Amino acid sequence: MIEVQNVVKSFDGFCALDGLTMTVPDGAIYGLVGPNGAGKSTILRHITGVYQQDSGLVLVDGQPVYENPAVKEKMVDIPDELYYFGSASTRDMARFYRGFYPRFDQKRYEALKEVFRSVDETRPIRRLSKGMQKQTAFWLALCARPEVLVLDEPVDGLDPVMRRQVWSLLMSDVAQDGTTVLVSSHNLRELEDVCDHVGILSRGKVLIERSLSDLQENLVKMQVVFQEKKLPVLPDDMEVLNVSQVGRIHTLIVRGKADEVTNRLAAYAPILMDALPLTLEEIFIYELGGEDYAVRDVIL
Amino acid sequence: MISLNYRDARPIYEQVRDGLRHLVVTGAIAVGEKLPSVRAMAASLAINPNTIQRAYAALEEEGYVSTTPGKGAFVVRDSGGETPRRGELLRQFDALSTELLFLGMTAQELAQRVNRAEENREGGAE
Repeated sequence: MIEVQNVVKSFDGFCALDGLTMTVPDGAIYGLVGPNGAGKSTILRHITGVYQQDSGLVLVDGQPVYENPAVKEKMVDIPDELYYFGSASTRDMARFYRGFYPRFDQKRYEALKEVFRSVDETRPIRRLSKGMQKQTAFWLALCARPEVLVLDEPVDGLDPVMRRQVWSLLMSDVAQDGTTVLVSSHNLRELEDVCDHVGILSRGKVLIERSLSDLQENLVKMQVVFQEKKLPVLPDDMEVLNVSQVGRIHTLIVRGKADEVTNRLAAYAPILMDALPLTLEEIFIYELGGEDYAVRDVIL
Repeated sequence: MISLNYRDARPIYEQVRDGLRHLVVTGAIAVGEKLPSVRAMAASLAINPNTIQRAYAALEEEGYVSTTPGKGAFVVRDSGGETPRRGELLRQFDALSTELLFLGMTAQELAQRVNRAEENREGGAE
């Protein structure tokens, strides 16, 4: 389990993390999303023990991470910018990993050669293309058999086939070993498939942290056509996040369960009514909408 | 085996559940046969194992499969108990048959179709 409690971090007076608290349960696949500059990479670097917080706690399995090799040998990180030694090849790095990951699985390394066969394991990693370097990172990460896997924009640079391949391997490990995965990404479509927990970050804080099914079941998109062209006055306690109208069709984003909202709207005798689930992308946009963060209409 | 459609309004777990149910009902996975493991399904669809687990739990509740811990999920033939799924299907059946009768079909023609469906099922089970 990863516990982050009230972490504050400033860089030269700029407050990057402002009392961030989050919890990643064991065996969860936790998706970290948020606008650019919200602090996603910063908190990931705390969780992997690269940065030291100004105040607060960062615990993995109850232990502080910073400068703690006993915790770090259970974790693998794939950062957004990969770094490898000057002329180290994939094979050299595997030897290096074997040195400090006690569960490093050489048999797996050989087996995965088939999957990552386009990567030349004897070539210096730095001379490989960006996508190939990412493949190498996953190859090594999977061999280390970590209990906790931290991924920052992991599939950035991978082609569609490789993306699916990598997710498939990760899902298989999660199902078998209960690996905990913490992943940041802007590809919400992809996160929706793989995550079961989601944390939305904004300005160095966690705005919402919930299981994905909870998040999706508590916000609903209603498409309604009423007798009148105008939208009737809805009760005050009905939390409507967004209203738009095309022709006679009103689209409402309402907080609540689909059947409850449907029942309440039925009182207005609509001609037509449909409850649609929201995608993670829509949830992201509407939940952050109240935070003074939205797409602006700018004419250039 | 089943495919997910990202433009589908149904949540992914419902798509998995409906896809598997279709395979069971058509006899593609026969009674007594084992459903693929959660791990195999998660890997082949590249989706969260919990989503698969949820779909399996829903199928068990509906009476299509039975899960033995440590062994997996097996297709069972429902013994005929009253399940919410059956109630829901019967409601749909009533609505459809009412509409078909309105369109001029006779009760006899509808009964023939049901008989044919039963023959096909038995043919498929052999």
